[in-house]
Amino acid sequence: MNDLAKRAREITSLRDFLALLEEAGQAITWSERVMPEPDVRNVAVAASRDANGAPAIVFENIAGYPGKRTVVGVHGSWDNIALLLGRPKGTTIRELFFEIAGRWGDADAQISYVPEAQAPIHECRVESGINLYDILPVYRINEYDGGFFLGKASVASRDPEDPDDFGKQNVGIYRLQLQGPDSFTLMTIPSHDMGRQIMAAERTGLPLRIAVMLGNHPGLAVFAATPIGYEESEYAYASAMMGAPIRLTKSGNGIDILADSEIVIEAEMQLGERVLEGPFGEFPGSYSGVRKAPIFKVTAVSHRRDPIFENIYIGRGWTEHDTLIGLHTSAPIYAQLRQNFPEVTAVNALYQHGLTGIISVKNRMAGFAKTVALRALSTPHGIMYLKNLIMVDADVDPFDLNQVMWALSTRTRADDIIVLPNMPAVPIDPSAVVPGKGHRLIIDATSYLRPDPIGEAHLVSPPIGPEIDELSKKIRSMQGGTSA
Amino acid sequence: MSGTICPRCSSSDAVSDCQGMEDGTVIWTIYRCVVCCFSWRDSEPPSAIGLGVRSAAFAVDAANLDHYPKILQQ
Repeated sequence: MNDLAKRAREITSLRDFLALLEEAGQAITWSERVMPEPDVRNVAVAASRDANGAPAIVFENIAGYPGKRTVVGVHGSWDNIALLLGRPKGTTIRELFFEIAGRWGDADAQISYVPEAQAPIHECRVESGINLYDILPVYRINEYDGGFFLGKASVASRDPEDPDDFGKQNVGIYRLQLQGPDSFTLMTIPSHDMGRQIMAAERTGLPLRIAVMLGNHPGLAVFAATPIGYEESEYAYASAMMGAPIRLTKSGNGIDILADSEIVIEAEMQLGERVLEGPFGEFPGSYSGVRKAPIFKVTAVSHRRDPIFENIYIGRGWTEHDTLIGLHTSAPIYAQLRQNFPEVTAVNALYQHGLTGIISVKNRMAGFAKTVALRALSTPHGIMYLKNLIMVDADVDPFDLNQVMWALSTRTRADDIIVLPNMPAVPIDPSAVVPGKGHRLIIDATSYLRPDPIGEAHLVSPPIGPEIDELSKKIRSMQGGTSA
Repeated sequence: MSGTICPRCSSSDAVSDCQGMEDGTVIWTIYRCVVCCFSWRDSEPPSAIGLGVRSAAFAVDAANLDHYPKILQQ
């Protein structure tokens, strides 16, 4: 194992990763005084122009927040993702994809528990007089957002109907809008694990308690956004994919949380209540609408001493959101497709969380690429997100858009597309017919292949006629037995 | 109620949630409208929080809150 890989496996917290990034010139400290708005947004947007090499930026002089720190862009470039994966700066996106794909199902989870009293996350605890606006140096992420959002929070929760099942415990990234000093809304959709748990709690009247983790192990921030099965643990998955142990502890409200996160907010959903949420500048590059979302009441906050508040800039791409989840959107689709179709050679679903995906495949027979495309639409992520699929041959690198354009130019026939109308769609897709319902497009840009010669061969002529009819009767009469 | 007017829905029912302090001086105040749930910091540029300056496309009609969809209905 080389030094970079060893360092990556030794990361246990955001602080460890920031130190590694700083050594590599991939994290900078912004000491100049900034206003929360619009300065933090402006700096973050300027940095994200460089998708390959942007550094994380730690703001340490924010007007009105003396002594508090905010970091953006921790996962804001491919170089930062490379260092997280133990690879050098300059590693290509294709190499990073295969680094992740190669780890899939390759290792066991290593999870250890730290007693609460020894867990750094519980160094400081606030149980009364909670004011999130004071604890967190928040800023308006996009100009017309409806309020102050936490855009990079990993939310842990237990299944309200099966609270003891570790695997059904969910960890996911959901956007949270502060709704007062000790309240926030959470936005999700029914197909997401959190949406499922909220609906179950409201159907049964069971309480739903959550722990919102901020400033986390950078591996979890990546894998909490990865679409894996409902009964798979994101903690176990993150540990296995990182090839490194994950340290957990308990939150004050009984949920497994990372022991080394910066801040955790413990909260309980107010069953049946909804308040106005949004708009929010989302990953398609457009604002979500205003909707009524579930509201949570904060019961306690734990944090490390001198905590670092981690947030994100998200909006019209390219942004940190795209590098944070791009490869980990692509890799599960690749793995799930290859279970049925080993002919799939790579999946690029980097664009707007997979609203457009490019899949390379060895065409087994005429039309085979379309079959693969239809299977992709039924993967957990594909059900809602894979809107436009471009199928290319295995000799085309889906991560090289020049090659993809070549395939579109030379191997696509205008009638060799499929449009699937009125399919499920992510509600925030601005091109949807109505929010939540839209069309899917499959472009077969693979080269022409002859059909299998079925139907062209000479037909077998089985014997027929009175003699065969008599033989059939004789067989039935020989069977005997009683009628059932 | 403070009587502060919400730049999004023009209601006059905004409350003050937090003040940013430096050496005893108030640097900014965060307000929240209890009608349309908009929240803002009074140090933000007028394009975001200026009454009559903000883009009308992002206004909320306080008299018509019922038409906003409720997510996760059974």
